[in-house]
Amino acid sequence: MTTVGGSGGLGAATPPSSSVPTRRATAARRVGDVLHHNEEHVWRWSARTASVIPLAGLAFVLTILAIKAWPAVKVNGLSFLTSSKWQPGSTYGATVHTHGVAHPLGASYGAWPLIAGTLQTSVIAVLLALPISLGAAFALTERLPRWVSQPVGFAVEILAGIPSVVIGLWGVLVLGPILARDVYPIVANNMPDVPVLSYFRGPAGHGEGLLTSGIVLGLMIVPIIASTTRDLFLQVPPLPKEGAEALGMTDAEVARRVTIPWVRAGIIGATVLGLGRALGETIAVAMVSGSVLGTVSPNIYGTMTTIAATIVSQLDSAATDGTGFAVATLAEAGLILAVISVAVNVGARMIVDRTSRLAAPVGRA
Amino acid sequence: MAVPANYSYPKTRARRVKEVAFRLATLVALVLVVGPALWILLGVVVDAVPHWKWSVLTTLSQGTSGGLENALIGTLVLMAGVLLLAGSIGILTGIHLAELARPRRNGKSGGTVLRTAAEVLSGFPSIVLGYVGYVALCVGLHWGFSLLPALLILSLMVVPYIAKSTESALRQVPTNYREGAEALGMSTGYALRKVVLKTALPGIVTGVLIALSIAGGETAPLLYTAGATNGLPTFSLVHHPIAYLTYYVWTDYNQPSNAAHYISYDAALILLVLVLLLLIASRITVARTQRYSESRGR
Amino acid sequence: MSWKIRVRHPLAVLALAGAMAVAGSVTVAGAAKVKIPKSGVETPPSASLTETGSTLLYPLWNIWAPAYQQKYSQVSLTTAGTGSGTGIADAISGTVDIGSSDAYLSPTQAQATPTLLNIPLAISVQVIAYNIPGVTAHLKLSGKVISEIYQGKITNWNDPAITALNPGVTIPSLPIVALHRSDGSGDTFIFTQYLSDQDPSGWGTKISYGTTVAFPAFSGALGENGNGGMVSGCKATVGCIAYVGISYLSELLGDGQTYAQLKNAAGNYELPTQTAVAAESAGFVKKTPANETLSMVDGPAKAGYPIINYEYAIVNSHQSSASTAKAIRSVLEWAINAKDGNSAQYLSQVSFQPLPNPIVAKSLAQIKKIS
Repeated sequence: MTTVGGSGGLGAATPPSSSVPTRRATAARRVGDVLHHNEEHVWRWSARTASVIPLAGLAFVLTILAIKAWPAVKVNGLSFLTSSKWQPGSTYGATVHTHGVAHPLGASYGAWPLIAGTLQTSVIAVLLALPISLGAAFALTERLPRWVSQPVGFAVEILAGIPSVVIGLWGVLVLGPILARDVYPIVANNMPDVPVLSYFRGPAGHGEGLLTSGIVLGLMIVPIIASTTRDLFLQVPPLPKEGAEALGMTDAEVARRVTIPWVRAGIIGATVLGLGRALGETIAVAMVSGSVLGTVSPNIYGTMTTIAATIVSQLDSAATDGTGFAVATLAEAGLILAVISVAVNVGARMIVDRTSRLAAPVGRA
Repeated sequence: MAVPANYSYPKTRARRVKEVAFRLATLVALVLVVGPALWILLGVVVDAVPHWKWSVLTTLSQGTSGGLENALIGTLVLMAGVLLLAGSIGILTGIHLAELARPRRNGKSGGTVLRTAAEVLSGFPSIVLGYVGYVALCVGLHWGFSLLPALLILSLMVVPYIAKSTESALRQVPTNYREGAEALGMSTGYALRKVVLKTALPGIVTGVLIALSIAGGETAPLLYTAGATNGLPTFSLVHHPIAYLTYYVWTDYNQPSNAAHYISYDAALILLVLVLLLLIASRITVARTQRYSESRGR
Repeated sequence: MSWKIRVRHPLAVLALAGAMAVAGSVTVAGAAKVKIPKSGVETPPSASLTETGSTLLYPLWNIWAPAYQQKYSQVSLTTAGTGSGTGIADAISGTVDIGSSDAYLSPTQAQATPTLLNIPLAISVQVIAYNIPGVTAHLKLSGKVISEIYQGKITNWNDPAITALNPGVTIPSLPIVALHRSDGSGDTFIFTQYLSDQDPSGWGTKISYGTTVAFPAFSGALGENGNGGMVSGCKATVGCIAYVGISYLSELLGDGQTYAQLKNAAGNYELPTQTAVAAESAGFVKKTPANETLSMVDGPAKAGYPIINYEYAIVNSHQSSASTAKAIRSVLEWAINAKDGNSAQYLSQVSFQPLPNPIVAKSLAQIKKIS
């Protein structure tokens, strides 16, 4: 009787004892086991290699950025973060050296308006998107009629998919002019001259500016916040909710006292995720912001610019600076944006992960 | 206290009002989400359709006039490349994070640093990625504006989306499938191939389709890596720029000639159609596979 | 046998050596010497060229490229409009074969890459447009006045400084909105050169010129993207003033705006007519150096329109292959040829002016250096 399973059987099941395995079958099983064993290795090895790629890519990007920005960091110093002057200097004039870095005479860059503009538009976007996204997430998860939840779900997916350049185009051609003509003047003229609300007074502008950028950005981040929040809501176990309803709570009270507290930190995390996306948005903001360097907008309708929009509109002209200093400065601004974006996204992930449990079937946490 | 048999509403008016307000709020959210989405779609359609000529799809572009054939094919080529490159890397990453990473001691799943890096990458400003691609690949490696730098940068952007949806799809495969496979003596890799991946396929496909629509709609990174051209895409990976649809939306809306505006709107329309097709495809995939899935109705 | 070769006639040997040397150098020089046929354009080998750069020159390249490729189908010429800065940078790095720029190379750039050539292809003009309802006349504006407008010192159209220059015109009271280019551009370059020239103590010292400058920020300042943005922005903004390239003139006028008469260095106010532009460029012909790096803004011509510039092709004179070099030379020769690219049939579509003949010769001399 041939012994079976002595060679390389990795938990191979023994066939019913009535059929005696032949030598060929044993050999085939041996080959099969070797292949299976290697297959495991192949999967593990390739998956591990692949999963390192995003990390490696991120590190690569940050390194290149830091290298390119270093000359500008040396010269611009800390005042880059606080100064408002964007002066390229006389690019057709003399070249001078500061700290060993060549740059045009009189070049002096300050990125405060860019940073302020980035933060302002993102904050407005989040303030607008959060309530809408929460409402949309409720519409998608609560027992609302299908004529509500189906269109909302589809609309959220469409908004997520529309290219940002198309949204920017719509913002510039359609939304901006309508807002400037019909909405802003009414708001601006009727706002009382009180400390906070006075920000809403003043010339209504031409539709390109801070508020319009905030609205367009808000529209773009609604899908992210809404879909993450919807996933969080779906993970709230039904028992507490049904119990609350059995006790006589209305849908609104269930939402307010059971669902939201259950995933409160997760909602914060989703919002911060949307914030991260808003910070980095380039094209749509470049189209509707008015792109004015060197000034923080005096009121909420005024033109401004963000870091990303500045990079995209100034990169070409920075190339005319033969010393490469202007390009290095833009790289420095990009580095600041990258650092802010990384910090915000890491924070968001930590918050979301702490609350949400990924759908894990029993026994495999 | 007698309670009517059909009692279904709260007793106090305040609570009734709050309930109505809540419903109203969700309706308002409905309007504010569906409204702008429809408005954008209609806006593009209204702008593009009056001057639409089917020849736009078969004529090469000539700067600010002509057609969009090369741009459309270019975008499709970019999407195909992203599908291959980012698809394989993303799915493998998702597999690693879901199945193969060593769990941490506190019971949570492993691979946190890798997962966080992927998440961070997904929120990274696209213009910065484009600039780095330009500096490191187009100029640094002397590839010039071409397909390969564009593919590399685009893939870097969308790999996190594919990885995330792959991971969550894999985690939703019921444990009994895995346990049954192990009981039958399958190695992890074999079980992956024969059982788990097939079950998780709808989620994976959805993630891939989302990634494709993101890749097709990107502008900033492509401006600095793919360049622009009036010709059809060639098969060369380097030294030959490639056209893509978003370039024409971004560049031509600002040109003064009406022909350029029409090109811009037409490109926007084609992009929307592509996005809608991908959306419908992902919905069909999910619906089809759920028809035979055990988890339907859960 | 002795290996020493006795030279019987050393002079003959010397003469032979000399003749060989001369023949050798002639052959070598002949290989490097570019022969331009009578038509003025060399026949190119099969090649694939890329051009990118100035958005002002982009519409013209889009007219030139198909016409050129119709004649020489063995060359595929791709054009793009990414901006003058990118055009120069890409020509420097070799990412692109021909870079277009409204501005010549800066001394720093020329020093860093001495093999770069800037070759004029055509003459472009810039107009100052404005949108004042009820005013259809061509207002007279001087560089100093425009400089003060863009610094926020003159804020209303009926400011005495403007009305003093235009005695016969009724200008309503209207706040001025000063549009500038938010993306760096050659248009900003020549506009700010004009302001620096005419207001040296004010604009010249404080802000100076360049493709990007720190435009003073005040409530009436607005940035626009691209020439198209300037045109549409001015159309949408009543009271605007904007500097726009002349190829956008028809769109400008179509929207009910009009443009100004500008004060030149001689003190006369000129409209951007063909004669005025020709007069201005004629005044610069003698001044143009061999490397054709020259600003033609605010020239001495008495009846010249003050804001004109050469549109440059930036090319590296050291090309990687002789066939690419020949193809590039062919394209550029075609472009500056008065019967081909520089003829009215193409230039008039963008309202550019052809190069004067002496400048064509200088450009040809530079083109021949590309190898």
